[in-house]
Amino acid sequence: MFLRMVKGALTRQKGKMVMIAFTILLGASLATAMLNIMFDVGDKVNQELKAYGANIIVKPKDNSVLEDLYEVDGEDEIQSSYLQENEIGKIKTIFWTYSIVDFAPFLETTADVNGTAVTVTGSWFNHHLSLPSGEELDAGIVGLRSWWDIEDGQWLDEKVNPDGIMVGTTLAQTLGIRAGDRITLTTDNASKNLLVVGIYNSGADDDDQMITNLDIVQELANTGDLISSIEVSALTSPDDELAQKAARDPMSLSVSEYEVWYCTAYVSSICYQIQEVIPDAVASPVRQVADSEGAIMEKTQLLMILITILSLLGSALGISNLVTASVMERSNEIGLLKAIGAKDGAVSSLVLTEILITAVIGGIAGYFVGYGFAQIIGKSVFDSSIEMKPIVIPIVSVLIILVTLAGSIPAIRMLLKMKPAEVLHGR
Amino acid sequence: MSLLELKDVSKIYGPLKALDKVSLTVEEGEWVAIMGPSGSGKSTMMNIISCLDTPTEGQVLLDGVDIAKENSKRLTEIRRDKIGLIFQQFHLVNYLTALENVMVAQYYHSMPDEAEAMEALEMVGLKDRAKHLPAQLSGGEQQRVCIARALTNHPEIMLADEPTGNLDEANENIVLDLFRQLHKAGTTLIVVTHDPEVADVAGRTIILEHGKIKKEVINSKEK
Amino acid sequence: MKKRTMFFRMITASLIRRRSRMFIALLAIAVGATILSGLTTIYYDVPRQMGEQFRNYGANMIFMASALNEEGLTSDILEQGLTQIPDSKIVGCAPYRYETVTINNQPVIVAGTDLQGVSKTSPYWFVDGEWPSSNGQILIGKQIAETLSCGIGDTLLMTYSEEAIENPEQPDEVPDRGLNADAVNIEFTITGILDTGGNEESYIFMSLEDISELTGEGPYDVCELSVSASSEELTGYVDNITSRDLGITPRLVKRVTQSETTVLTKLQSLVFLVTIVVLMLMMICVATTMMAVVTERRKEIGLRKALGASDRSIVVEFMGEGMMLGAVGGLIGSFMGFAFAQAVSVNVFNSTITLRPILVPITIVASVIVTGIACLIPVRRTTEVNPALVLKGE
Repeated sequence: MFLRMVKGALTRQKGKMVMIAFTILLGASLATAMLNIMFDVGDKVNQELKAYGANIIVKPKDNSVLEDLYEVDGEDEIQSSYLQENEIGKIKTIFWTYSIVDFAPFLETTADVNGTAVTVTGSWFNHHLSLPSGEELDAGIVGLRSWWDIEDGQWLDEKVNPDGIMVGTTLAQTLGIRAGDRITLTTDNASKNLLVVGIYNSGADDDDQMITNLDIVQELANTGDLISSIEVSALTSPDDELAQKAARDPMSLSVSEYEVWYCTAYVSSICYQIQEVIPDAVASPVRQVADSEGAIMEKTQLLMILITILSLLGSALGISNLVTASVMERSNEIGLLKAIGAKDGAVSSLVLTEILITAVIGGIAGYFVGYGFAQIIGKSVFDSSIEMKPIVIPIVSVLIILVTLAGSIPAIRMLLKMKPAEVLHGR
Repeated sequence: MSLLELKDVSKIYGPLKALDKVSLTVEEGEWVAIMGPSGSGKSTMMNIISCLDTPTEGQVLLDGVDIAKENSKRLTEIRRDKIGLIFQQFHLVNYLTALENVMVAQYYHSMPDEAEAMEALEMVGLKDRAKHLPAQLSGGEQQRVCIARALTNHPEIMLADEPTGNLDEANENIVLDLFRQLHKAGTTLIVVTHDPEVADVAGRTIILEHGKIKKEVINSKEK
Repeated sequence: MKKRTMFFRMITASLIRRRSRMFIALLAIAVGATILSGLTTIYYDVPRQMGEQFRNYGANMIFMASALNEEGLTSDILEQGLTQIPDSKIVGCAPYRYETVTINNQPVIVAGTDLQGVSKTSPYWFVDGEWPSSNGQILIGKQIAETLSCGIGDTLLMTYSEEAIENPEQPDEVPDRGLNADAVNIEFTITGILDTGGNEESYIFMSLEDISELTGEGPYDVCELSVSASSEELTGYVDNITSRDLGITPRLVKRVTQSETTVLTKLQSLVFLVTIVVLMLMMICVATTMMAVVTERRKEIGLRKALGASDRSIVVEFMGEGMMLGAVGGLIGSFMGFAFAQAVSVNVFNSTITLRPILVPITIVASVIVTGIACLIPVRRTTEVNPALVLKGE
């Protein structure tokens, strides 16, 4: 009979129950969407911050400061140590391999163009790599220099223009070079006739330099397969105390701290892991990028958490409000049930069961609607889908049930206090 | 010309004939009681006379106007201007005081007038309870507020649907006394009831059964 | 008594005497309005607040001497340039002078700068030890510290002489005549080692007074500025300064400005979309609550109709009631929303926000409209019902 009454209320009072279910649906969808976005916003913003370029730089171990100084002094470049080009791929074999978004090797030399000495950098643009793990990827500076404006021509494509070169805007003006021109670079070791594919504006010193494929510079500098540095762009977690302690000296950590640190995508642990696979190298964080990323991500996450809390509160109030209102509305029915001898417990459990069934239906539907909202936001803001975290399901379920109960219990208690006679006489 | 004239009025709900070709005439100043068992068509007739519903067939002439043909907007106006309603469940607005409840009727009719509303309350003997909310009044008092509300606009017809259905003996007498006063003052009264005692005080009793007038009794003994 | 007086008397009676129900509705509206005003405030504040966070990335504008300027970037010229940018927008400003000196006959680049300014323009600098606090103290790059194998507390003897070092980068350099021939030797104490992961690690930093003492007076080579402004504003400043021909060539640090615009736009549109979704849902929540509240009063509507109220007057009365609720809820909500936005700002960004007065009327109008519409639908539907049926006690 209990079930029959519940069923009767659910099916025959369709209008009211649909309204409650609808409100719960809205609340649940809002909670789902916000929680999912909140959990995913860190990753998403992290991806966006990759626009700032590499946050880790890998250099040979005993690469001295002299390189920079001698350059300034205008003397010939003397680089005493190099990294091997074939070691670059190893970066993708570290524990946090999936955090590594992009990377590119660099090698600089000075070459003569129509009697002017210019700095030429060799790098990867969209270099295709097939890793031993079977993974395929394109790495290079197209991703690492996202702020570059291509003023004339286009980005160099390694497959299309193996003999292409890109020229900085200041240098291009000085030399009167435009995209489509051919220029000849000469060094003591070789001479290359290259096609200017694009003119870039970086807003920095490299505007009076040129950049071309790595192998061309290696030939010009006669260095074989050597490179001078690697820039790595990695998704990292914001630093905390552990990371700071580890950054000073990884060896000072206890075994369990070390485990935690090693298995967290701190910039310091990624650097450490890169040094493990490339023994001759020193990987250090580019603080300008790494630190700022941490700060911004932390703020964004905190902001989203607070907005989420507000919207959860809002939907909780909305649901409990409506539940309260709709329970109160049923004073007549409850009065009648009491008049014909129903005990308080029986009445409460009847009303609660009805509302909880409605809540479950509304909650499940709401989860999927919320999924939709999260995806719409993900797609329109970040051009990628929001990952649905399973943890959201229990959180939303508990929330909905608690809120529904919280909304109905005071109303039920109020109704139980009323005398059936009064209720029935509609006072 | 009669104040109210029903000519062959029928009201059909699907297969059910709530009213079946009923004809009735009520003269100005008359006091008519309508009696009958549940489902005899009392309420339907009441709703039609009070302009809350329209008949399926037939003519209802109120002051010579056929209200059966009017649209709901016109019906509302006619009801507002000519009819005072008294309900079994009183139907007072529970957040307004007795006085304000009377004034609501004035408000929709023409202009709210506190003094006039007070007069109506005085007439039903509730002057000192004017500032009370319905919840603070007894059932009889609520019904008297309801009557005050109905008479404050000086309607041509006062319609009461089971006015004593929810009242005890003492309050019933108070209400009936009020009706007598109104009758003396010349108000046309139509009272739907199934209480013979209430019907007896009326000048004429019409007994309905299965949607038809079964018999009509003239109560000569005016009390 | 006027009709209008009775109208308001009825509405206020309904609002005041039906306290608990009205409280529920008011709560719903107030929460909706809180979210509206809170999120809108945050939405407008995000670029400013996050913009300040983005200043962590360091300088986004640099001043250099323009090609025709023979004096170089002197402090007078720099002052003039700085007046073109509103003071409130400048987060930090650090002029740099680079000179080459020798330590143990090895050439080393020293940079003289306003170290306090640097801590603003380059907040990412990680100093092991202390920042120099008085003259004679220096900050040394990590790489050069390794090369020279020196640490905190050590002293370095620097030698500067015009002839000793040829300086191709700054050929215009005109040091003080008196120091021309003689080499200057000054001893400095290292107070901190600088770790940035960038080129700075190979320089030595000292105060402007120290570098003048060591190498003589001279113009700045470059001035780094951290300006808290949108990219359009920045471009505006650059164009303005360029056109005034002050002897300064301002340049934007593209890497910082461009990326900031990208990320900020995304963040703002995220908050925008979230605001829209939350608002939509809150509106519906308010609407359903109002519907429940109105539907509850079907009997009353039926009674009013029976008493001769026209449909229109019933709609107007209920709307009036709803809108009054909306106005009160909106007023409460706009202040609660401000409190929320303030809490967010203080907790997340450690800064306060000012109340946007325009948001108060907007919030109130929006909640009045939403509640009005929310009432309209159920009232309309109820007025269509035959009062006879409602009064019979369905």
